[in-house]
Amino acid sequence: MRSLLLPALVLLLVIPALRAATTIVRGPYLQSATPTSMVVRWRTDIAEASVVSFGTERNQLVKSVKSEGILTEHVVQLSGLEPNTKYFYSVGPVAVKVEAAKAGAKTDTKAVIEDAPGKAAIHAFTTPPPIGPAKPTRVWVLGDPGTKNATQAAVRDAYYKFTASRATDLWLMLGDNAYPDGTDTDYQKAVFDVYPKTLATSPLWPALGNHDGKSANSITQSGVYYDIFTLPTRAQAGGVPSGTEAYYSFDHANAHFICLDSHDSDRTAGGAMMQWLKADLAATQRDWIIVFFHHPPYTKGTHDSDKDSDSAGRMNDMRQVFLPVLEAGGVDLVLTGHSHVYERSWLLDGHYGKSPTFDAALHIKQKVSGRADGDGVYRKPRARTPNFGHINNVTGSAGHASAKPVPLNHPAFFISLNEAGSSVLDIDGLRLDATFVNDKGEKRDWFTIVKE
Amino acid sequence: MLAAFVLGAATLAAHPEIEEALTRLNAAIAAQPANAELYLQRGELYSRHEDWVSAEANFLLAAELSPRLPRLAQARGALELSAGRPQDAVALLDTALALDPTDAAALVLRARAHRALKAHAAALADLDTAIAQLAQPPPELFIERAALLPPAEAIRGLDEGIARLGPVVTLHLRAVALEESLGRVDAAAARFLHLAATSERPEGWHKRRGDLLARAGRKADARTAYAAALAAIAALPPWLRTSPDTARLTAELTDQAAARP
Repeated sequence: MRSLLLPALVLLLVIPALRAATTIVRGPYLQSATPTSMVVRWRTDIAEASVVSFGTERNQLVKSVKSEGILTEHVVQLSGLEPNTKYFYSVGPVAVKVEAAKAGAKTDTKAVIEDAPGKAAIHAFTTPPPIGPAKPTRVWVLGDPGTKNATQAAVRDAYYKFTASRATDLWLMLGDNAYPDGTDTDYQKAVFDVYPKTLATSPLWPALGNHDGKSANSITQSGVYYDIFTLPTRAQAGGVPSGTEAYYSFDHANAHFICLDSHDSDRTAGGAMMQWLKADLAATQRDWIIVFFHHPPYTKGTHDSDKDSDSAGRMNDMRQVFLPVLEAGGVDLVLTGHSHVYERSWLLDGHYGKSPTFDAALHIKQKVSGRADGDGVYRKPRARTPNFGHINNVTGSAGHASAKPVPLNHPAFFISLNEAGSSVLDIDGLRLDATFVNDKGEKRDWFTIVKE
Repeated sequence: MLAAFVLGAATLAAHPEIEEALTRLNAAIAAQPANAELYLQRGELYSRHEDWVSAEANFLLAAELSPRLPRLAQARGALELSAGRPQDAVALLDTALALDPTDAAALVLRARAHRALKAHAAALADLDTAIAQLAQPPPELFIERAALLPPAEAIRGLDEGIARLGPVVTLHLRAVALEESLGRVDAAAARFLHLAATSERPEGWHKRRGDLLARAGRKADARTAYAAALAAIAALPPWLRTSPDTARLTAELTDQAAARP
């Protein structure tokens, strides 16, 4: 008994003193999740060792991983994890010692002092399931969230109420994650201070928006966005290696997600991003292909995809150059932001011109609402079928809707709303349900795609 | 007239987001009219939206107030390059790099300006430096550099990229084209084999290997590659094997595999 009490007493004396000396000022947050690995990141105000203690029991964080160096910006990759398994974790080395002491192990007090102080908070995440087989998956989709204002908080809280105890398996940010300039301070206030709970429990997969692009450079892979996020460049999470964090892909269960850089990477047909995209689309075996990027191919919200000058032609590029390839590749859902509204299409194919050239008879593949409680869901063959149709969804109002009236009259859309909110995807085997929840917690749009 | 350029064209202000950013910057400039950084930011805003005239007007004001302002020469160089004036871009980017020789973005921009001027050696030197400086240079830089080199050297440069970044498909594909241009069919075919071995859907890579070998007149080897593609298709789960695009590929491969020598 005495042998346990002594180290515990020492720890009780040491921990408060060290805690006072350092603070976690960012995170922890989860990145680049795979069935067997997870990147944990956080920031401290004072340089210290990077250690994550983890285990499958809350009171037994029996394993630990320590990265090289004494830093304020901590990046620790946990490897050798079991798929679809809940792990508890804590950042900072003392937690390991506390748990070890509790478990009766001999504690090395010197190591505790030399190492960084621990942080008592214990968080949890669940590793993604094995790639391929279906598993019910909830995805939270936030477009243009980073306003730091009450609307952003209301959208967040509405989602938290909506999802309740249902865990968020992963979340996507569609760009303009931190206004106005995507600086480190902007990210702190617009992302890390707003979503601490989700950041610590669910892996975040971001896209680069024009506001993020003010403080980042895709060709040098530098700047705040690239410093903050750890994204797969070598197909660590599935897909084909892109060699860059600007565009990447990953798998989760039976879904394949592709993130494109519509802001700062070469958007030409002969560019590297396009070459990679074609290879990535051809390589996947997943049931669902979901693509996300910032600039919408179609919108009549706070931006106008018919105007060549709007966003320096980026929306044109994504519609004229990329959309044909996405549709030929059998993509099911294209998620974008940039326009601070919600616009959701019919099941579409083949519309690459301006809105006056839209021909419902030609471009709408299934003219139903997509609602099981309406005139029917969208139905697609499970077998990959080029140009069978996709849903194009602008969901760019997670931080604000337009303060002024906007046209919202693009004929490609089944529904257009000038309302703040976020989108939720529920993928369950061969069924995908999407819901738009506004900032008041109201379900304002929903649709289903079923594969047969 | 100048005021109109400095404050921007009406078309830009029509976009609410730009309007919002402009309003913010205009207010800040009204409060601090001698703050060069604010003019730089406003110029960058216009640059991003390709309003070169307004951007330049703001950069000139910033330069008047603070000629050595960090980022200013780079921003002006980028503008000159985008506006199709590479010679002016080089001069400004020289200034940017004199102020900060580690500015990789300025190096890449100057390389592009040199390339536009057909000064390939200078472009190569800048790209070499940028690639060496960056912790994780994107594949685009290796591809840009390869475009400036003779094929054999270009392939070595692409392989350097693969060694640093992993088996990036875009680098391999560029290398395949170059290997084929040199008549190094086996080397090109080996790259396709490598891509096939690391892919969940190898059939497409085997097909391309077969096409490459067929173009080289190696019909028997091509048929072997097509057969490998068919075998890969046979190993797919049924719902993928029977999809319309796979069915089309299967039919094509079957014809090619059965073709007479």
